[in-house]
Order: sequence, then C-alpha cells, then structure tokens
Amino acid sequence: MLMTPKESSRRDFLKKLAIGGGGVVVLSKYHFLFGNEATNGILKAIVVDFDKCTGCRTCETVCSAFHHPVEINGEILNGLGNPKLGNIQVYHYNPDVDIPSVCANCPDTPCVNACPVNADPNANIKPIYRDEVTQAIRTNHDVCLGCGSCADACETERTGIIKMNPITQHPEHICDLCGGDPQCVKNCPYGALSFREVDINRTYFGLSPEEIAEELFERYYSGEEVING
Amino acid sequence: MDKIWGQYGVLLDINLTTREIKKTKISNDDLKNYLGGRGLGMKILWNRIKEPGLDPFSPDNPLLFMPGPFSGLPIPSSSRTTIVTKSPRTSPLNEKYEHSSTISYANMGGFFGPEVKFAGYDGIAVTGKASSPVYILIEDDKVRIKSARSYWGMGTDSFDKLLIEKYGKQYQSCYIGQGGENGVPYASIINTAARAAGRGGVGAVMGSKNLKAIVVNGNQQPNLAKHKMYLELLDKARTAFREDKEGVESWRSGGTADALESSSNNGTMAVRNYREGTFKEIEKINTKAARTQIWKRDFACFSCQLACKKSGFAKGAYGGVVHDGPEYETGTMMGANLLISDLEGLNKMIFICDDYGIDIITVGGVLGFLMEAREKGMIDLEFLDGIDLRWGAVDASIEMIHKIVRKEGVGKLSSQGVKALAAHIGQGSEEFAIHVKGHELAAWNVNTHAERMMITYGTANRGACHLNGSNPNRQNYDATQDSLGACSFAGRWYKGEISYRQFIEAITGVEQTDEEFNRIGERIFNLEKMFNYREGFNRDDDCLPERFFKDAHTYGKGKGILSTHEDFDKWIEEYYVDRGWDKNSSKPSREKLIELGLEFTS
Repeated sequence: MLMTPKESSRRDFLKKLAIGGGGVVVLSKYHFLFGNEATNGILKAIVVDFDKCTGCRTCETVCSAFHHPVEINGEILNGLGNPKLGNIQVYHYNPDVDIPSVCANCPDTPCVNACPVNADPNANIKPIYRDEVTQAIRTNHDVCLGCGSCADACETERTGIIKMNPITQHPEHICDLCGGDPQCVKNCPYGALSFREVDINRTYFGLSPEEIAEELFERYYSGEEVING
Repeated sequence: MDKIWGQYGVLLDINLTTREIKKTKISNDDLKNYLGGRGLGMKILWNRIKEPGLDPFSPDNPLLFMPGPFSGLPIPSSSRTTIVTKSPRTSPLNEKYEHSSTISYANMGGFFGPEVKFAGYDGIAVTGKASSPVYILIEDDKVRIKSARSYWGMGTDSFDKLLIEKYGKQYQSCYIGQGGENGVPYASIINTAARAAGRGGVGAVMGSKNLKAIVVNGNQQPNLAKHKMYLELLDKARTAFREDKEGVESWRSGGTADALESSSNNGTMAVRNYREGTFKEIEKINTKAARTQIWKRDFACFSCQLACKKSGFAKGAYGGVVHDGPEYETGTMMGANLLISDLEGLNKMIFICDDYGIDIITVGGVLGFLMEAREKGMIDLEFLDGIDLRWGAVDASIEMIHKIVRKEGVGKLSSQGVKALAAHIGQGSEEFAIHVKGHELAAWNVNTHAERMMITYGTANRGACHLNGSNPNRQNYDATQDSLGACSFAGRWYKGEISYRQFIEAITGVEQTDEEFNRIGERIFNLEKMFNYREGFNRDDDCLPERFFKDAHTYGKGKGILSTHEDFDKWIEEYYVDRGWDKNSSKPSREKLIELGLEFTS
C-alpha cells in the first residue's frame, strides 16, 4: 500500500540516455548537464538574505522536485518535491529564526581535499570534484568509498551541509547550482536567495546554521534594534 | 470504487492503554467522499463513536490528527492539520445524556501535517490512556510510545526548544502545555511554540490520554493520479500568487492584525466583553504599533507565500520573551475585549497562554465575563481570591490565567468557561456569558452584521466559531477547505483554472463536476450536524446570548443597531430551509441525508 514514486536520479537517467544515444530532443530543459552553461571560471553559489527568509521551505521542495524527477509515460517530469531530498536545507530554531543552509562552493574545497580517493595519484576518476564547466562540486558515487571524510570536513570547517546518506553511504546535499540556473533562487517567493559570485569575506560565508542562528538571535531579539520597523 | 491516488489509505492507529500500534485501512469511498482533514476525521469519529453521550475524557474518545490530500505537496498555503475529537467544551441547553457534547475540530498551520503525510499516513488516531505521561515518536514505519515523565509540566516554549535540540530539523512535532496536562477544558495543541489548534478543547483531550506530544519524521510521498496535470496546476498557482503582488503583500505586511483597525472602525470588534464594537485605543495595539514596538520578523507555514505570522520581542516590564503576535484574534480577545491597550502586556499575555497551551479566544471571553460581573457587583474581590480584576488590568489578568491553569480557587470554576461561570453566579449574568453551546465566541462582534454573524456563530457544529461561514454554501466550502489541508487565508487564489476540484482530480484521480465536488463539503457539514443531533442538540441550541438582542453599541459605527428575536427566528428558519433541515427540530431531512449518502446516520 505504501508507495515510493518510481524515481531515478537525473544522473542515472542521463547515463541510460547516453547509452541509448537518443532522446536529446526532450531534454532541452536539462541541457546544462551537457555543459552548455560555461561560467568562465567564476565561482558562484547560492547566497541567503536572512532578513527576507520566512522559513517556508519552498526552496527545499523545488530543489528536490528538480533533482529527483520521475518518469511518467516515458516522459521525464519534475518530482513531487519531498523537501527532505532538497540539497538546500532550512533549519528552524526557537526563538524564531530560519536558516537555509546550502553548499558555499568554497574556493578551497575542504570536502574535495579530504577525500582519500582523491589523494590517491593513481585514481583517475574522482568521487568528489569541482566540475570544470559549471564550477560546482559534483560527486561520482561509483568510486566513492563512503568513508564520510568530505562530510566531516564540511561539518568541522564550513556549513556542514554535506551529510552521508544512511542507506547508500554516499554524500548528499551538495549543490550543483542546477548547472547555472538555480531553481531555489528562481522560485523563492520572498526573494531571499540570490546566485552570486563566491565571496569568502561576506558575513555568513561558510558558517553552520547553528552559528548563523546565534548571530541572528542577537540581531533580531536582543531588543536593541528594530529590523523591520 | 477505483483506487484513490495521492493518499495512502492508511490510518496510524495507536491505543495508549494497550500500547497496540497498527495501520488501519481507510476505504477508498471515505477518501473520495470526505477527502481528509476535518471531513475524513469526522467520518472516522462517526465510525468509532457509535452511541451518544460518550464522556469526551473517556479513553474511548478518539483524538484524530488529520492532514489532508494537499498536505506534503508544495501547493501554496496548504499546511493545515485538523484535529478532530468529541468536544469537552460543549453542552446542549437540555442535556439528554450526562456527557452530551458536539464534535470538535481545530486546525493549525505550521509543518506538522505535511510531516505526518511524509511518514506515510493519512491520519493518526489516538485512543486509550497511557498509565503515565508519554509521547509518540513516529519515524516512517517505526512508531514508538516513549516516556514523557520528565517533560510533563514543561511549557510549550521550552519544550519546543528541547525537541529542536533533541531531534533536529527533520522532525516536526505538536504538543500540549500545562493547560492540557491539568485538564483545562479549553486547552490547545501547539506546534512551533506558537501555532495553535486552539479551539474546542483538543488539548484537554490529549492531556486526558497522558499524551504530551507527537514527534514525526517521514520520508515518503504517495504517487499522484495525474502527475503532469498537478505540475501544471502548481505552476499556475505559484504564478497566480506571484502576480498578485498587492494581495500577497497585504498578508505579509500585517497578517490578520491588519483587521484590528478596520474591524474597530467598522464596529465589528469584540470590545468590553462584546458590549461595544469599537475600541477607542485601537491605535495602541494596531499593526503600526506592533511593527514599531514588537514585530521583528515575518514567518510562513510550509510552502506558504503569505507569511502572516509575526514574531517579535517586547521591551520593558513585560519584555524578555520572543513570541508571535498579536494577530486579530489574540489582539482583540486579550486586548480590546478586556480594554487592554498596553501592547507589551498584551504580547506577554499571549505568550503565557501559548506557553500553557490554552485557547486565547476563550481565555479572553472568560476574563471579559469576570470583569463585567465584577463591575456589575455580581462577584466581589473575595470571589476572585483577591485578584483585582478590572477592565484594562494586565497584571490581574495574568494572575487569573495562572489560577485557571492551576485550577486553583476561582481558577477552577473559571477553567470551565463562561457558561459554567454564569450558571454558578446567576443574577442574570447568563445574558452576557458570550457563548453558543458552551463554546465562547471569537473576536468578531455580532450586532453590526447580525444576520451574518448570528448564522455563523449559531449554526457552527463545534459551538461558536467565526470561521464557520454565514450561509450554507460558504459553510460547505469552508468544510471542504478544512478537509484538504488548505488554508482559508489563501482560498481567493484557488479559483477558475486552478480550483481545488482540479487539484483533487490531479492528485486523487477522481473526476467530478463542480457540483459533485461542492457536495463533499455539504456531506461533511451534515454528518457533523447528525452527530450533534444524536447527542441531543437541536434548534434551541442554535441560539445567541441575550446581550445581542438587548445591548446596542453606544458609540462607533454599530451605534444603536439591534436585532430582535423575531429577526433571528426568521433568519435561522430561512437557513434551515436552505439546508433542507426541519424548521422546528433542525434535523436534516431524510431526503437530504439520502441525497448526500448519509442514510447510515438516521
């Protein structure tokens, strides 16, 4: 009685497609995965304006819907958007503060550096790497050991958004920037998200949701300042 | 009946006495005919309560937590969870049974309902009574009953913080405070420390089961019948919100609190225990004042574009707590109705009530009644245990709230609501005990639009309810909306090519005409009515307090307007005819019941 949508990850789907050699016509929407969106080497990432975020979690659902498509009558469509599967994740705290946490696309890539497979000079396929075209961090689960070093590095040094899937033991929630047209930015009803050049000097760069929440408690609820007045 | 998509057909059935946990099948017929939420909850309640007169605090009274078919889907403003049970708040004029009471439903926004859906259930039924305090932990198929002994006695705010710390972001919860634990009949169920299923005493029923909380983490979604059609509707719905900048902004800027000023200006506000309709000090508690003194941030429920919840921080003597509010209901019932214009004090009172988990609308009604009885000399300081309760008094009000929750002295009787208080005090105080069927009225006053408001309050199946709709069509529509998991604030956007009916077709696969779809709400409303009728409620109970026939407002827009009993009799008879109900008894006709597929009720 309980059903899980017939779900294939977009990557698996494209892999099948590549083998089959057809279907490019239906894929105009997904062309970025073939590398049409060059970023000229500029590092970009999703940046949150916490003053505008209301914690509605629309970003989680659109991210999830886009990255977990379903096949219906031979047509590949957006999924239902289970927010748990979004690469961006919104953390709620009490007192009321909501922190969308998303891969910062760190220029110095602690996650990539921590990977023991990457450190192996003989490995020619990397489990976690920066995509040359989109400049996003990507993963290749086929060669991943599931050791969790990337997640540990992210957690100790940056946002901690990378989590190991308890079943597959592969890293999750790494933002692929939707290849250059992030769905979360496009669909945020409150204009709280933007797609911008990575700036390691911006206020909340690379901080964990807990760290940001602490600062925002102080900022909004210390009684010193009226933000929305 | 064909398969119903978009629903699991599964009710999580938990008996706290036997600790039995099972999945009960929900029939396709029920999913089609009652949708989810309030409607499906009512049908399950009917199936389980076979005889009238069941004590609402009996372990046999089911407490149903019902998301709807929209829940868990990012359809804008579809976060609502309805809690359905037999009411501990209502009673008929002439009790046919010792425990005659109506149905109760209370709905809350937030994130709880979607999470129940993610866990793989169309609803949760809790029956029985645990031998000591427990909470229910649901992780998809894994369901556990865990000890809550160390959490019993905690306020909802600190308990919410504890749960966030303990379970983290992937878990959603709802819980009671000391109000529900102590069996205050108007206790509420709270989620995210502020969003309340406030009315109808659902938190008291939860407390009677020794159930502190339900904590859920789910990871599933059901398949839809017409996935592509759903995506197209979703896209159009998002566009409709996006393009109506002004409409959306009106909710974001002030939420329901914007109504404080307009309602006062229109003479439609509950002021001075409903004696007046306009609050002379409204500018001290309106949106502008709240923005300047209290509100800091706007918050939205799951996938909502309106963000009507305002959180803030007060300074001064009543400062130190971060909470949301005031909005229209809380601002009026704790403010205007008690002539309280100290915004920070008002905000503190709202926090205290939410932290205890008690219905702020009813508390405002109770305090207003006591203030008036004191003013009129019907009760004295001794009756009030020395609490100097007067119009506008914040500290005395706070003291009284503490007494109510502890059920100490005057608080014990006051915890039973205005009907019980008036019965005890007598001296004609019944005339200003503002309730219908024992359930206190909400923050919209009656006289200026008497026909609309008397039908709204008088005919509501849970006792006085401002969200009931003022005519059969509107009531049916609202019953449907409450059964989808959709929010009443966003109904205006779901019209034309993105109607609720079309969403239901895409989700469940049921193809039906608008007429057939509208019949669902009518069916739900009539089933509720039949439940109440069986309990002994009839036409006599659909009556308004005498105040609304005797006391015209003395100033403001409603000044001098008064309706007569003859007016009301005419309106209510027209209403019954419109409904297809008997004019004298208010019982739905046999033909109407057959037409709606409710012949099993008579």
